[in-house]
Amino acid sequence: MKTPERLRIAVQKSGRLNQGSMDFLVSCGLTFAPNGHSLILPCQNFDLDVLYLRDDDIPEYVSRGVADFGIVGQNVLAEKEFEPKILKKFDFGKCRLMIAAPADSVIKTSKDLEGERIATSYPKLLTDYLKKEKLEAAIIPISGSVEITPDLNLADAICDIVQTGTTLKAHNLVPLFTILESQAVLIESPINKQAKAKFLSKCGIN
Amino acid sequence: MNQFIEPKILQGTRDFLPEQMAKRDYVLEKIKTVFTKFGYDAIETPAIEYAETILGKYGEEGSKLVYRFKDNGDRDICLRYDQTVPFARVVAANYKTLPMPFKRYQIGRVWRADRPAKGRYREFYQCDIDIIGTQSLVAEAEIAKVMAEVFTTLGFSKFKIKFNSRRLINSILNDLKIPAENQAGMIRILDKMDKLSPAEIKQELKSLASDSEVSKLLELVCVEGSSNERLNLFQKYNITEIQEFLKIAKGFGIPDEVLVFDPSLARGLDYYTGVIFEVYIPEVDIGAVCAGGRYDDLCSLFCPEKFSGVGVAFGFDRIIVAMEQLKLLDEISLNSQALVAYFDADTLPDSLKILGDIQTAGLKAEIYFEPAKIAKQLKYADKKSIPFVVMCGSDEKERGEVTIKMMKTGKQKTIPQDQIINYFKGYSSL
Repeated sequence: MKTPERLRIAVQKSGRLNQGSMDFLVSCGLTFAPNGHSLILPCQNFDLDVLYLRDDDIPEYVSRGVADFGIVGQNVLAEKEFEPKILKKFDFGKCRLMIAAPADSVIKTSKDLEGERIATSYPKLLTDYLKKEKLEAAIIPISGSVEITPDLNLADAICDIVQTGTTLKAHNLVPLFTILESQAVLIESPINKQAKAKFLSKCGIN
Repeated sequence: MNQFIEPKILQGTRDFLPEQMAKRDYVLEKIKTVFTKFGYDAIETPAIEYAETILGKYGEEGSKLVYRFKDNGDRDICLRYDQTVPFARVVAANYKTLPMPFKRYQIGRVWRADRPAKGRYREFYQCDIDIIGTQSLVAEAEIAKVMAEVFTTLGFSKFKIKFNSRRLINSILNDLKIPAENQAGMIRILDKMDKLSPAEIKQELKSLASDSEVSKLLELVCVEGSSNERLNLFQKYNITEIQEFLKIAKGFGIPDEVLVFDPSLARGLDYYTGVIFEVYIPEVDIGAVCAGGRYDDLCSLFCPEKFSGVGVAFGFDRIIVAMEQLKLLDEISLNSQALVAYFDADTLPDSLKILGDIQTAGLKAEIYFEPAKIAKQLKYADKKSIPFVVMCGSDEKERGEVTIKMMKTGKQKTIPQDQIINYFKGYSSL
């Protein structure tokens, strides 16, 4: 007899989507035993492994079919230009990609961004936004801690994910406007597998 | 008083000034990118050739249009009339060492002693690709794919690659019992289908065939419908070649709506033997912008070897006209993207360092040559549509800063000098 196909679902290893993702899987009746520091967590009652990944790597795994499913923020999908089938939108991981500038800055509206330096971890989305607004600006690509760049005279504004706004406030930055609204979504790889249907019905998705 | 020579050029020849050249270079680069993507390599041949190489290859009409002269050593010389005949000579001289099948692209000037008219020049560019040394229809399909990619890359959205097969035309003419010696003549008349009225075509064809034969032929080749519907009407003729070609073309991913089977397509030149092509831009009325096809006997005048090949020529000048008309070249500017201002001897070394930084960031940049008033330097930038003027005067120098003026909006931005590379590297529109 053929051994059943084992499915894989990619979730964020640590960060704002991890807890919500695991809560969802548990709420579907899946059980997991603690697995130390391993990045692969086998499910005890279903042919499924959870892969713990950096969230911006999840599109890569799912697009290649190495993971059959993934739970990831729409902001990451948009930045990676990956448009998979979205099976479910969750009510966690809600955030906005916003432009923010120091309180005393001359930058108040999108028009003021012309020619300015904008630090971001989302260069693709920022480029698209500027293009759409017919604006030109210098994008400073930064992987993290974008908020400190204006203070160091490395940037005049930032384009970053805002959830509550406390980090911005701590750095004396004022959120100006939103360029993308995002939430966590369940995505499916383009590669067909029979076992997928069984997982989806387990999760109450048809 | 000085006597000046009138600065004039020959009719039918052109000077291309920077603005025009920028557009031509842009188009040429795009075309080359597609050619090289498919592994075509470039060759060049001389502008001047022995007359015997060139003469007698272009029919009676063509030979009259060849530029021919005696050089200082009394040799009989011709200017290159097209790139196909010199290519045949090159292949005949080198086929033992060339990789076979051999594919190449060739972009160069050719000269014709024609009467100049609108869109007809005495000196113009040809832009050819050929694959020789194979009879495989994969070659035809690859050529079709390259044509599709060239016109897509250039920004045309509605172009059509019309194709037909000489074998099919011959099969129809044979079926109508047209004598072999009249077939080439009839094909040449059919080729004028889009230039003459149906009545004129009919009249011309009647010199070579009977009324009923002509009516039957025109009825056959002028059918309407999609490529497949048309093809279905030709089941009784030799269409295996076309079916096979379409199958491979599909494999190459050429969209159905781009590749149009047109049984009335004939191509005037006698040497075609198989699939033939013509590309049209429906919105622009300038005739075919690219054409060619399969030939079986390229080099036979130069060597005993036979080489079957397939090739097309892109009408470079027509493509430029079409792109200008469709406003696909409006955004093309001159090379320079940044002008570094020249304030005084004291700040010049900093300005030159900044110039190097801007170029390191990947921009094409230049420095103004004289410490002229800044208004004059800005005027120069404006005239060349340079988007950025970068300034480092004594104030900026002292603070280790640099000021960037965006010419489009007039806005100025001052940043630390050592950020200039990253500023331009990250600039969203560059």
